Amino acid sequence: MNQILEILGLILIIIGSIFLFLGALGIYRMPDVYNRLQAGTKATTLGGMSLIIGVGLIQPDWFWKSLILVIFIALSNPISSHALARSAYKSKIKPFFKGKEEDLDAYKEVVERNENN
Amino acid sequence: MKKVIVLILLAVVAYYLVDVFSQIKFGENRFQGENVRDFYLDKSKNDLHVSNSVTSIVVNFRGFDTLGEVTVLFLAATALGSVLYRRKAHGEAVLFNASTIVRSGAHLLFAPILLLGAYVFIHGHLSPGGGFQGGTIIATGFLLMLLAYHDYKVSHGVLTWVESLAGLTFASLGLTGLILGKTFLENFLPIGTINDLFSGGIIPIIYIAVGFKVGAELTGVLYTMLNEKEYKKS
Repeated sequence: MNQILEILGLILIIIGSIFLFLGALGIYRMPDVYNRLQAGTKATTLGGMSLIIGVGLIQPDWFWKSLILVIFIALSNPISSHALARSAYKSKIKPFFKGKEEDLDAYKEVVERNENN
Repeated sequence: MKKVIVLILLAVVAYYLVDVFSQIKFGENRFQGENVRDFYLDKSKNDLHVSNSVTSIVVNFRGFDTLGEVTVLFLAATALGSVLYRRKAHGEAVLFNASTIVRSGAHLLFAPILLLGAYVFIHGHLSPGGGFQGGTIIATGFLLMLLAYHDYKVSHGVLTWVESLAGLTFASLGLTGLILGKTFLENFLPIGTINDLFSGGIIPIIYIAVGFKVGAELTGVLYTMLNEKEYKKS
């Protein structure tokens, strides 16, 4: 039983580390704030959660504590990234529009409409 | 007349300084063959029954030092308040209200964060952490609420009361040890069994006081920095 739990935990930890690595790569590689936030948050939410659950499975004494941590990450990480993205949008940081100028016009239209409201 | 009084006072101070310093055996090995590390580790385990020896060093053996650190924090908070009091606000610190998601999330997370802070400083003598860390966690909870709710009010009176009572608890615990014929901040309560929540004598009480003090001070600092506008009006 313990062996199975340990292997399961190790698999989860490996998945978590892969996602965290991809998140870091995304933050390095993506062109603008919004894309970076997307890569960073999604990857760290899943990566951190599966990593902590994996640790909880390897050490069964810590399982409930790790579950509390996972709930905390599930609540706080999306909210904080939402707040960051919203403040970036509100302070008029332009998204990345290379090669798609018609989308840039649509974006400007939406911003103007929001300002008039 | 004034000069004579000053001279007498100086003589008294000089007498006690010489008296104290003449009793210290400079250059001698006062740990009877051990070094300081072994002395601390042995004493925190056997005489104080504290499992986290860092806490026993910070709060008991070097408790006077910690009292000074708490005072430094208090002074820094007061100085920041007085500096910002005179500064004129360049526009608003908060540009727009936080969204509903942030507000409800902050509402949901506020109580757990306070609980975690309290847990950290109550278990300071059993696990890593303590008053300073727990107080900082509590202050982050208040920061979350201040960022989420534009009109969130923290009462400066309550903060000052909490801070003063916590500082008073710390100092009076130290003085009680002195009154009972021991040294300043020496333990006078039963030490309990090791790894129990109620163990370590005065150490948990002092760390709870430090936690309250640091939490109140940092909350006051954050509140002053976010609400400079309010000072300008009054």
